[in-house]
Amino acid sequence: MSHGRDGQEGSAGTDPTAPDAFEDGVLALMPALRRYSRSLTRSDPDGEDLLQDCVEKVLARRAQWRGVNLRAWAFTIMTNLYRNRHRHRAQHPEVELDDELGLAAAEDNADPLEKLRLERALDRLSAENRSVLMLVVIEGYRYQDVAEMMAIPIGTVMSRLSRARRQLAEAMEDDKVVALRRPK
Amino acid sequence: MTDEFNTVSEDELHAYVDGQLSQPERERVEAWLERHPARAEEVRQWQAQAAALKSHFASYARSDDGDRTLVATGRAAPKVAPPPRGMLRRVAAGLLIFAAGALTGLYAPAIVAPDRRLQIAEEPETLPRQAQSAFLIYASEVRHPVEVGANEQGHLATWLGKRLDHALRIPDLSAFGFSLVGGRLVPVNGKAGAMLMYEDGTGQRLTVLLGRNTENRETSFRIASQGGVETFYWIDGGIGYAVTGEVPRELLQKVADECYRQFEGSSAS
Repeated sequence: MSHGRDGQEGSAGTDPTAPDAFEDGVLALMPALRRYSRSLTRSDPDGEDLLQDCVEKVLARRAQWRGVNLRAWAFTIMTNLYRNRHRHRAQHPEVELDDELGLAAAEDNADPLEKLRLERALDRLSAENRSVLMLVVIEGYRYQDVAEMMAIPIGTVMSRLSRARRQLAEAMEDDKVVALRRPK
Repeated sequence: MTDEFNTVSEDELHAYVDGQLSQPERERVEAWLERHPARAEEVRQWQAQAAALKSHFASYARSDDGDRTLVATGRAAPKVAPPPRGMLRRVAAGLLIFAAGALTGLYAPAIVAPDRRLQIAEEPETLPRQAQSAFLIYASEVRHPVEVGANEQGHLATWLGKRLDHALRIPDLSAFGFSLVGGRLVPVNGKAGAMLMYEDGTGQRLTVLLGRNTENRETSFRIASQGGVETFYWIDGGIGYAVTGEVPRELLQKVADECYRQFEGSSAS
């Protein structure tokens, strides 16, 4: 799996903890961080909020970075921020039809209704299951990496991934039925 | 019949979908799927899901004009639009968190209903439950997880110690990469208790809860776990202690041992 591994670390030969290199490293990660943050949240503004909080935290904690794998470190910080915020949300999911989903930003030509369904289905996942799914499927992390980033056993990674996939499939199925009834 | 020797696990099916198998493993799974159409259908569904997710979020993997400013200053560049929306969002997010906290409160009557004191005082098992509720409510707080921050550590120790009526030493957990965020006053067993919050470099949080125990009992180290939240607790010299976090049990145990050692140092004089 080769995708999503771009912008790894500073090039060899430069001191990765030097201020400029650090900031350049973060800057190079921005596209991947923006994608991950949006894949965890329910709208573009929420995604940008999480991204901003994450960058603030990464910069504030640069002294604690051990100098290896900036990407995984930044992703871990974002995952924890997201988990701290949404620990309970999925237990009380609110699915709002009129919520601003920021679909305009997606420039491919997929059916907008399908995309809406996907977003709504994603909102029914718990924060834990959702972050595992996104780290694996979109960001291309190996199961072992996800286990280390989230400080959980690999068995838990697998069960969360499995639950996320099944819940997502079920939610998409449910939504098909709901859409026919046009809820207000 | 060959399946007996050639079975494929659920984990392998996921690894197949996620491209995390070697070539021979992949071939084995494919051969197996040919004989198991129901699972093959499920695998196709997961593959379709993965493709939909990738394409749905692909366009977000881009740089933004404000990125450089954000990284240089840690603040988003002021956009053309004035602040209200961001502000409202933050307020809305705060309310959501508050609502989440309030909902948790429903499951944690001990926190909102101190009149259950008698029952609670007799049941030391409820200490970990209160500790877990406090953790779930306050570790979720992004902006105001504590009342007094780590920058006022001296004041924090005096203030909480006074309310707890017990000289309080704030444990130093830097050996495990956890630094103090701060503390707050929380009801424990219907009385004033103290909660200290710690955070590591990645934002992972831990709480240490202290509360008076009227029965003055001593207990050994115990562990309670619920929904992935682990608590180590013990009662010593009329004070109940509980260390809670969503971290591996071995790490939490080391932290709890260290807290015990440091609290011990403060009381044995």
